[in-house]
Amino acid sequence: MIWLESLGVEGYRNLATMRLEFSPSINIFSGKNAQGKTSLLESIYLLSSSQVLRGSRDGEAIQDGSESAQVRGEVAPTGTELGVDLGHGKRKRALINTSGLPRASDLIGRLPSVVFWSGDLTLATGDPAARRLMLDTELSQIFPAYLKAFSAYKRALQQRNALLKMAQERFVSDEVFESWEVQMVAAGEQMRHIRASWLETLRPFAVETHAAMGRAETLSLEYVTKEPGDLAIQFAMERRREIARGATLFGPHRDDLELTIDGRSVRLFGSQGQQRTAVISLKIAVMHAAQATLGFPPLLLLDDIFSDLDQERRKALVEVAMGAGGQVFITCTESEQAGDSLIGAAKVFRVQSGQVEEE
Amino acid sequence: MQFARPLAELIAQLEKLPGVGPKSAQRLAFHILRMADDDVRRLSESLLVAKRSLRLCDVCQNISEGERCEICSDPRRTDDVICVVGEARDITAMERLNEFRGKYHVLHGLLNPIDGIGPEQLKVRELIQRLANGVSEVIVATNPTVEGDTTAFYLAKLIKPLEIKVTRLAHGMPVGGELDYADTATLLSALEYRREI
Repeated sequence: MIWLESLGVEGYRNLATMRLEFSPSINIFSGKNAQGKTSLLESIYLLSSSQVLRGSRDGEAIQDGSESAQVRGEVAPTGTELGVDLGHGKRKRALINTSGLPRASDLIGRLPSVVFWSGDLTLATGDPAARRLMLDTELSQIFPAYLKAFSAYKRALQQRNALLKMAQERFVSDEVFESWEVQMVAAGEQMRHIRASWLETLRPFAVETHAAMGRAETLSLEYVTKEPGDLAIQFAMERRREIARGATLFGPHRDDLELTIDGRSVRLFGSQGQQRTAVISLKIAVMHAAQATLGFPPLLLLDDIFSDLDQERRKALVEVAMGAGGQVFITCTESEQAGDSLIGAAKVFRVQSGQVEEE
Repeated sequence: MQFARPLAELIAQLEKLPGVGPKSAQRLAFHILRMADDDVRRLSESLLVAKRSLRLCDVCQNISEGERCEICSDPRRTDDVICVVGEARDITAMERLNEFRGKYHVLHGLLNPIDGIGPEQLKVRELIQRLANGVSEVIVATNPTVEGDTTAFYLAKLIKPLEIKVTRLAHGMPVGGELDYADTATLLSALEYRREI
């Protein structure tokens, strides 16, 4: 099992400079709103993913009046120190044992995690981009081959889109188009292959969890691709239309993970309750599937989920968190919210005005 | 604070250089002010001399003092193998090997539509023109990036119909490196391009 033994932050959001030591099982950050609980959780996520949460930009995570933000974490049992430095107008820097990595994304996979936060509801209610983001984030942590294909695809896609716009102004030969498309097809096929086979691992967990939450309804997950056949042929056929639009209209960056309950789209027709249940089922399944693939449980980061959930879903989630046997971080306004069984097993940290005190 | 006008001008000129931000430009400018007059004169002269006396080699497009660079004028080197590189500095890396006895071709960039670079902005036409004269192999030694791979693929598409062998430098494990320390992308490439022993 891999877990985060200690965390050091400096200049990060509203958090005071501090060093915390964690329990290998359950850790609770409790405190009133806007005291720094989520920032603390986010700094752990940053070490795991090299990304900040909630769609904010890296620079926003730097404390007012501070030049830079630093996060360090020691990973057990190896004792490896992971680090991320953020600076205004500078490239984000990731470090392993104090030596800088060529790319921040090289940090990914060293400390796999699954996050539950209020933004997850967009997995059910939002457009396909939200679900693709979830797939890309999770798969990049678990499969280095996915991260490599995804990075190459993203870059080739940006280049091809620039090429499509260029072709509105001047002649671009088919050979040039094909040269970019070949890169996209190779990387894109690998992405789709990994996404699809991961979905096979994920699906039974999601269906089972959903059924266990006492609904007599059936959740299903389908991977949906827009183009009818071969991606390379599609690119060649639709090139004229894509030039007119200045954008690539087909490929894994347009695919979706469709959630349906009893055959009806959760996004379009689901009640609020159904959407929440679907999201919880999906995320719990992601956690189980990550564990099944990695061979050890990923870190679970649960951000303020208790206030949002009813008794039943809360119970389902707590049981999973306890049952996984991995390291868990939970933020909540009152530690009592988490329930006696959790608190008994947990190390509780009280967060107030960016200061953290161990209880 | 306002700098005296000549100093502000110097900083502004230095800032135009790649990789030099406002802070570095200031540091360099203040350093130049502290340098001995002779050293400053030598620096400014070498800038002008380099700019005036250097040009691109007519054959391989490498930076050269004359119409033909040293490598292209070397009678001991063969004409039948051409190694294509993105930038002139890549030749230095290849030449350190003291192994390759063919000649080079410098593209002066890689395909990169984001920066507005297509084949017309690169020395591609010059490369194709060279291939008429008994070239048997083109080694594409562009960087192992998406842009480098795309450029290599594009060149292969143009050159292969001419019945000339096109090869690409292999990518994989650093020699003498340890498996444990290899970055994942490199290790994945090494696995993908593994060979039978």
